[in-house]
Amino acid sequence: MTGRVPGLLVAALGSAFGVALLQISGALTATAEADPDVGASATVGTLLTALALVFMAIAVYVGAIVTVNTVATVVAGRARRIALLRLLGSSAVAQRRAIAREGLITGAVGALLGAVLGTLAARGIVEVGVALGWLPRPAYGWASPALAVPVVAVVLTTWLSSWLGSRRVLTVTPLQALGSSEQLSAEEVRARPVRNATAVVLAVLGTAVLLLGVGVGLVSPLGVLIGVLGGILSFSGLVMGAHLVMPPALALVGRLLGRGAAGRLAAANARRHPERSSRTTIGLVIGVTLVTMFGVAIESFRRMVEAAQAAQPDVYQGIGPMLDATTAVFSVLVGFSALIAGVGLVNSLSLSVLQRTRELGLLRAVGFSRSQLSRMVLAESAQLTITGVLVGLLLGGFYGWCGAQALLGSAPGVGTLIPPGIPWTVLAVVVVVAAVLTVVAAAAPARRAARLSPVAALGVE
Amino acid sequence: MSDTASPPSPALVARVEDLGKSYGTSSTRVDALRGVTLGLRRGEFTAIMGPSGSGKSTLMHIMAGLDSPSSGRVWLAEQEIGGMTDAELTLLRRRRIGFVFQSFNLVPTLDIEGNLLLPFELDGRRPDPEERAWIDRLETLLGLGGRLRHRPHELSGGQQQRVAIARALATRPDLVFADEPTGNLDSRTGREVLELLASASREHGQSIAMVTHDPIAAGYADRILFLADGVLVDDRPRLPAAEISSIMLAMEAAA
Repeated sequence: MTGRVPGLLVAALGSAFGVALLQISGALTATAEADPDVGASATVGTLLTALALVFMAIAVYVGAIVTVNTVATVVAGRARRIALLRLLGSSAVAQRRAIAREGLITGAVGALLGAVLGTLAARGIVEVGVALGWLPRPAYGWASPALAVPVVAVVLTTWLSSWLGSRRVLTVTPLQALGSSEQLSAEEVRARPVRNATAVVLAVLGTAVLLLGVGVGLVSPLGVLIGVLGGILSFSGLVMGAHLVMPPALALVGRLLGRGAAGRLAAANARRHPERSSRTTIGLVIGVTLVTMFGVAIESFRRMVEAAQAAQPDVYQGIGPMLDATTAVFSVLVGFSALIAGVGLVNSLSLSVLQRTRELGLLRAVGFSRSQLSRMVLAESAQLTITGVLVGLLLGGFYGWCGAQALLGSAPGVGTLIPPGIPWTVLAVVVVVAAVLTVVAAAAPARRAARLSPVAALGVE
Repeated sequence: MSDTASPPSPALVARVEDLGKSYGTSSTRVDALRGVTLGLRRGEFTAIMGPSGSGKSTLMHIMAGLDSPSSGRVWLAEQEIGGMTDAELTLLRRRRIGFVFQSFNLVPTLDIEGNLLLPFELDGRRPDPEERAWIDRLETLLGLGGRLRHRPHELSGGQQQRVAIARALATRPDLVFADEPTGNLDSRTGREVLELLASASREHGQSIAMVTHDPIAAGYADRILFLADGVLVDDRPRLPAAEISSIMLAMEAAA
């Protein structure tokens, strides 16, 4: 299965991240408990573990979306082979079970591998901390029953996502093995009124609650609690309705790719499977939204603090460096899910180019040059990445500003709506990473497309 | 291009001389073509026939600049193309050669108009008024007028082949290659497609080379070349399908 390596990578990354987070928070808790000043209070440990679980859940969730997409793409490409097996008497359910079983094995191997790597990484980080004198050597055993949580979560989600992603197997008919349907028609965007309605209701309601939080925030910091609820609701609605939001966004960005043949085809390709491109980009949207959200929130927070500081200089002493450190830590933690989404994007583009061999042969025959084909693949990659990043930046900016406003709108010296702070460093990093991702994702498939012999490509079924 | 041993005749639109093509290494070597020499006459509809494995597709691929020869020389009109680089061959295919394949001729993400204009777009230009008039005429002639905004998958197989023919003719290429153009069609639709190819040659002087193993299809051609085991074995003027069929049967029996 072509999706095995990326599947394994995604499972390993998710599990490694979860395990490393729990190990580090375990080590930090052990340190805190040993520190007489912080005391034996369980609060630090609980807080750290809760944070670790939240970030882990985000990463596992993004990993699950990536896995669903990989499996669905692989299944679409294997339709002919599945049809042949169906023709020879295998049932669709048996075919689907086989794919899910493959997912279970991939998930298990990846999760265990990730657990080992995550523990090693965590130990490495703590060793560095100790060597630099930031913390004393923790009395921590590096083995805790809680570590099973990320491992089990990754195994189960990989299994479940393989099952969900293989739904298309059921639509493959034995007749497809007999030819005639070389080109799989575009996945139909099925009418799913319930899901669509739920998504819209969640998004609208969530946004209203979020704005209410901002309003309440002008008089009380408790507004942030209302805001968080609204944020979670509206973002869930958006992720659920990704297939409604992402294709138009992709189309918009596609117009920027130029009007040449390569650009136009790239724009059309990125939208030919709306479901697939939505899933490919939504992981990136989640990562970028969260990174930007923390960046903007903290930057806006800083502005409000500066405003408040003018009023009460002594209260807010020395808060600047702490904010910088918080931004950095949160960006890395949240950015990890963007990394997993990046793996998904690379994989998705490779698979889709691989499955288009015949079409690439046709393009070469009618006069596409090698460099035009490479440019087409690069433009496709750019379209996916740029769309994901732009949507993420917009959403993140909005959420971040709402969060800061809801929390601090009522602070002395603020008391009003203030424009969002722009975290330039975070933005610069996001843009650079996006550019790197575009090139990395396009590199292998573009080279493959350019090297293809037209005769061999035309001969592919 | 450089030294031409035997100067190309203006009556020939394409020509190969002692053409050889082999695949694989010495132990697993397969000779697809073994010294083929032939010329296609300008303005004619030529069928290249032969049983499976006779080398007819390989011959077409090399003459169309899709593949390179192992030995021998290839000309398109007065230009030698055998030693061209990939970039030069790309331009040649884009501007001077048209293709109609058995299936999967059209880019699924482009509508019919987009497919027709693809060769021009690849050159980074729009058709000039004269070319535009020709394309409009082709669209009318092939009955595509109402479907220009449709995507290929919304069209029947026969309609898709018509679009492919229109695209192949749009740039007024030196030579159109058709590779089993009716292989995926029912016989009535197949006849219509063949009639279109024949009339493009008859009425517009379009040179066409069609690779096929179907005697009925070859019956529409002005001239029929027979290939077997990588060599040219026969060269006939227009023949009824029944006679073509018996020649083919005789070839199969001899093999």
